[in-house]
Amino acid sequence: MMKLEAIIQPSRFESVKDALREIGIEGMTVTEVRGHGRQKGHTEVYRGREYTVDLLPKMKLEMVLPDALVSRVVDTILKTAKTGKIGDGKIFLSRVEEAIRIRNEERGENAL
Amino acid sequence: MSVLSPQAEAERQRIRQQFEAGASARETLRALCELADRNVQRVFGELLHVHESAPQGLALLALGGYGRQMLFPYSDLDILFLFGSEKAEQESRRLIAEFSRTLWDLGFRVSSAGRTLEECKRIEEDNAEFHLALLDRRFLAGDAALYDKLDTKLLPASEKQARGFLLAELHRLTKERLTRYGNTIFHLEPNVKESPGGMRDYQATVWLRQIVEEKKESRKITAAEEELSAAAVDFLSAIRCFLHYKNARNDNTLTYELQAAAAERALGRGDSVTRTPSEWMRLYFRHARTLNRQLLRYLEQKAPVPLTLRQRLFHAARAAKLEADHGKYCMEREGLLEVLDPPALADRAITFSLFGEAARTGTPLSREAERSIGYILTHPELRARNTEMSWATLREILGSDFPGVALRPMQRLGLLTETLPEFGMIDSLVVRDFYHRYTVDEHTLRTIEHLQELADPPDARGAHFAPLWKTVDRRDLLILSLLLHDVGKGMPVENHITGSLAALDSAARRLKLSPEEGAEVHFLIEHHLDMSATMQRRDIFDPATVSVFAESVGTQERLERLCLLTYADIHSVNPEALTPWKAEMLWQLFVATSNHFSRTLDRDRLHAPDEIPMLERVKALAGEATLEEIERFLEGFPRRYLAMHSAAEIAAHFALYQKLGAEPVQTELIATRHAFSLTLLTADRPALFATISGVLAGWGMNIIKADAFANAAGVVLDTFHFADLHRTLELNPGEIERFRKSLADVVNGKAALEPLLKGREKASRARTPKVAVETRITFDDSSSAHSTLMEIVTQDHPGLLYEIGSALARLGCNIEVALIDTEGQKAIDVFYLTAQEKKLSPQKQELLREVLQATLS
Repeated sequence: MMKLEAIIQPSRFESVKDALREIGIEGMTVTEVRGHGRQKGHTEVYRGREYTVDLLPKMKLEMVLPDALVSRVVDTILKTAKTGKIGDGKIFLSRVEEAIRIRNEERGENAL
Repeated sequence: MSVLSPQAEAERQRIRQQFEAGASARETLRALCELADRNVQRVFGELLHVHESAPQGLALLALGGYGRQMLFPYSDLDILFLFGSEKAEQESRRLIAEFSRTLWDLGFRVSSAGRTLEECKRIEEDNAEFHLALLDRRFLAGDAALYDKLDTKLLPASEKQARGFLLAELHRLTKERLTRYGNTIFHLEPNVKESPGGMRDYQATVWLRQIVEEKKESRKITAAEEELSAAAVDFLSAIRCFLHYKNARNDNTLTYELQAAAAERALGRGDSVTRTPSEWMRLYFRHARTLNRQLLRYLEQKAPVPLTLRQRLFHAARAAKLEADHGKYCMEREGLLEVLDPPALADRAITFSLFGEAARTGTPLSREAERSIGYILTHPELRARNTEMSWATLREILGSDFPGVALRPMQRLGLLTETLPEFGMIDSLVVRDFYHRYTVDEHTLRTIEHLQELADPPDARGAHFAPLWKTVDRRDLLILSLLLHDVGKGMPVENHITGSLAALDSAARRLKLSPEEGAEVHFLIEHHLDMSATMQRRDIFDPATVSVFAESVGTQERLERLCLLTYADIHSVNPEALTPWKAEMLWQLFVATSNHFSRTLDRDRLHAPDEIPMLERVKALAGEATLEEIERFLEGFPRRYLAMHSAAEIAAHFALYQKLGAEPVQTELIATRHAFSLTLLTADRPALFATISGVLAGWGMNIIKADAFANAAGVVLDTFHFADLHRTLELNPGEIERFRKSLADVVNGKAALEPLLKGREKASRARTPKVAVETRITFDDSSSAHSTLMEIVTQDHPGLLYEIGSALARLGCNIEVALIDTEGQKAIDVFYLTAQEKKLSPQKQELLREVLQATLS
């Protein structure tokens, strides 16, 4: 099992979610986050007041996937979240030791 | 004892069957209580017998709901073991343990407490709930003399002594509970026990009455109100029984599924008429409203803590002030508006003025004032006069600083629906939705309350939007849009926006909104989801996104209203819906669009032949003029001119334009709600903008907003909105003509400006500003193809625009477009400048900066 974390543009979220649903991924945790990588912030001036946007709004998706699905999900996110501009985001993958469903204590991929 | 269990179970089943066959909640609760009483008494008697004990020194009391004989199917039995002494307590321990176990085995959930007589006398300050439950005490079994001593001797004295504490605690606990549920009865899935309007409200009211030892004759509650309250308690009790039976546990949440089930069996109605879940929920809310209103009135009236002398003096002073201002109809007392002459309310104009006062000052009507209005409304024999609320009156309320303070009681009293019958379609309407927490009408009123909160934002989410709320133009139209934006949800249409727009059409006709007002509200309702959709589904940092969005919005004024509407709409979905993240996104989209408007103003100029529909509309209003003449007038104005003005206004400007041949300076002066609006047309000439600003300054007028446009033929159209600081024009109508003449003479060079300005500048400069605004001047060469943009943010003061305009004229700068705005004491002006028909050179920009800095500092 792998844990996938994807940081994406908020504007791509709906498309990514729909594309993942099409390949059978319904469950995910979504968080509104702020941050920046190479896409630095910028300064806006509104009515004479400087207004720094140094942390840009992003969406973080988290899901734990059976090994067999990982590459498909990654491809889907890459395809739908990509605009080709700086700031499209990143995908992080890490190995998960165990998953346990609290309700019935099922373990492993069955618990996903 | 083993025989008791099946008997109790069989009895429970019988009670349930009777309830399901139509027995009332009252009968069901009484039967459940009697069943519990019988079993408690029997088990207690048997155990005394087994333990060979006598009942002396030990009494069993029912408390809380069980004490007041309102025992719901899966509620706990609240039982107090009362001991005559500590010795009795020790001797009874085994018996009590066995008693609780046995009742548990019989299917009763016992929630017990033990106290000696002495302990009952003491007030446990961290356990007010126990003392409140004790108010509902009822003898069950054991030592009757011991109970009698507690009931008639000890508790009355200690309760009297602790009255202040109990009242304060009851206020605190109740307010905490109401706050936990957002202070509204209108939850989509309410908890019929704990939510506002639930059974707990009724109980708290009863306790409040008990604590203040209210005599029945002095209750100020009418028989009709008692009846309503009893009907509400019966209705809610029936639901609670139903929920317990359906859930097989003490779960009081009225979920969507159970709403449908309750509606199907016409629960609580007894008329067997099946209703839709929405219709049935309206009945629920009607009853919940009765209980909640009664509780709130008691909470308001029975202040637990006496007012301090300082508070009393403060209130007395404020009351006197209001009385003097507003005659005999109302006064402010303890922060609430009270009616002084209730019969006068039969004149609805007076009632409306009360709401106007509430909206203007933010002072809510007291519950008593509401009751007085309600009484008049429900007694047709008291002949009402002036019953129709005009758009002018409604506008006053909607455009005030605190419209929600008036609209909330207007809704409770049915006056909002009377004025705006379309709102009735969403009255207590439950629309199943994963995100919304409240009924549609509650959501709507919350949007307005969230906006008025911006006067003093309760958290950081509102900080950016607060200045917008303070300065937004036509607040009345924004609030009307909010009132109607979701009305379509109560109509049988596929898309609720279509329904809301149809509702607007009928409301606009009835209220006699002008076509421009109707169009503005139409836009806001039609596009009320656009800003939210753009910020969440588009890349708001992409200039193309901003450009498309800006084009769909059209003007800065509209953008401000749409932004506030979006803020309020998201905020009112549920308390967590407007995350700081979303508030930030909304703000960023607003700023980007706003900057887009001011930086791209002259990019897009009108080419009149492309605007045939508008030309036709103007022609229809412009008498005998030809299309070509109108085209010549419009050719070359920035697009903003079309977006900002209606066909009627353009036709009026065109009429002035046609008269330029006879008189080279044409003016139109209109008094608006809080200011004047001056339109001036003339051929372009050097220092024109500075000259007009100077005349206004010379007359003591403070320019709030202005814009200056020129068409391709060099005709300048300037609009100034100014405040008449000394009320010169308002108090001396004869001065209006003199003002216009003075303006025309100075612009035409027939009179000098300097004498007008003399003395005025000194007087205005002498004032110390309340807020210091640092002067900031920025230039932008990239946003416009042929002008340099200069933005000045500085301390506002009368004559400021004249100073800037004069400096620009001295340095040979031509104003192509000017956008003038103020925000409190801050002036925010944007000028599109050219010098010899080119952008300003860097040297010129630097020189201009130095001159303006020196002039303005």
